[in-house]
Amino acid sequence: MDIDKIIQKIDSLSPVSFTGSRIMAIISNPNSSLSEIVDVIKYDQVMTANLLRICNSAYFGLRTKVVSVRQAIAYLGMNNIAGAVMMGHFSKNFTAAQKGYDLGEGELWKYSVSSALIAKSLAEKQRLNNIPCLFTSALLKDIGKIILSTHIKEAFQKIVLCVQNEGMTFLDAEKKIIGIDHAELGARVAEKWRFSPEMVFIIRNHHDPLKILLEDDLSIPIIYLADTICMMVGIGGGADGLAYRYYQEVMSRLNFTDIDLQKTIADFWGQIKAVEEMVNMSGGN
Amino acid sequence: MDLVVGVGDMKVSNNPEAVIITYALGSCIGVAIYDPFVKVGGVLHYMLPESSLDPVKAGNNPFMFGDTGIPLLFKESYKLGAVKNRLKVIVLGGAQILDQGGLFNIGNRNHTVLRKMFWKNNITTDFEDVGGTVNRTLKLGIKEGEAIMRISGNELRKIKWI
Repeated sequence: MDIDKIIQKIDSLSPVSFTGSRIMAIISNPNSSLSEIVDVIKYDQVMTANLLRICNSAYFGLRTKVVSVRQAIAYLGMNNIAGAVMMGHFSKNFTAAQKGYDLGEGELWKYSVSSALIAKSLAEKQRLNNIPCLFTSALLKDIGKIILSTHIKEAFQKIVLCVQNEGMTFLDAEKKIIGIDHAELGARVAEKWRFSPEMVFIIRNHHDPLKILLEDDLSIPIIYLADTICMMVGIGGGADGLAYRYYQEVMSRLNFTDIDLQKTIADFWGQIKAVEEMVNMSGGN
Repeated sequence: MDLVVGVGDMKVSNNPEAVIITYALGSCIGVAIYDPFVKVGGVLHYMLPESSLDPVKAGNNPFMFGDTGIPLLFKESYKLGAVKNRLKVIVLGGAQILDQGGLFNIGNRNHTVLRKMFWKNNITTDFEDVGGTVNRTLKLGIKEGEAIMRISGNELRKIKWI
């Protein structure tokens, strides 16, 4: 297949707005204060409305309805606000059905939000300090699937044969049959949208957790683990299924036991209804 | 009338109009049982093998775990007139990430707890499609016990079990 033609389809995605780019720059820069987000979004009524709708969803469990950005920050903190802003901004690209991956309307978005929320929770336990950047990377890591989906549909039988007969991962089979995989394509989107090099690196390597940008950075292992958990629980379970490589080294690196794995799954079950409601709210525009 | 069984959930029915469905079984296990004589059936979708992980959560939702969900599936069907030795049984799910080994292989452990309980209670399965790396969906029609499975990305497949 003509990879250049596939890459050109990046332009068919709903682009990042000017306000969105400014927020991305803030959360990607460790020297900037997250409070700068407030100054950016206060002039954007749509973004503010999306943010408040997400903040008032059952997931956050606020007893009082928040009606202003400042109030939302006071109740939820900047990490949650940054995540909610990103959810509100990027949902429109993710909510359509992705037939090549056998995902119905909203399923890729549910998968992306669930994966980002689990990654955020794991990152908080590991006391990472770049949580908005990690959350956004986890949220957008599968954006390449949106472009690749139509090509997957055409090549599906060949891909399945590679997975079943040769023991390949779905990702490797995408690359072999189509010429590019969804992680690489997602990284190309991130580059085109001028995401930070760190986010581009995470998106490109989210199925390859042994690749790390900095020696002590746990972002990719955490995003990989959150993704693995979503696959196991079947959240947004599509045609690619669980056909991705497992890395025990990630569990060791994160000091994550099988009991931790099961407890994380059980804890997430307790939030599923609220997550679904928030997914519908954030994707409802 | 579709009765959707969510993750960590169970539905039992004797309504001939009911079709019980559970979607996207990854490492989770879906168990369907059906008594063709009284036309009673049910589906359980559990996520984790053993309730000892968190007895409080198991108390609040026994369908989350195999060892608490499976007995309830059978007990609830008995309440509607099903009889153990007439029950037909389907087991689907238990998928795993490639090369996922040992204790982290929850799909395999979910299946193992079921096999142990079935062996101990003398229950045999009439159809199983377990393991691999695929997502599965299961439908059970109460009127005739028609069972259909679908592997994501593939066509529907009728299960021959009655």
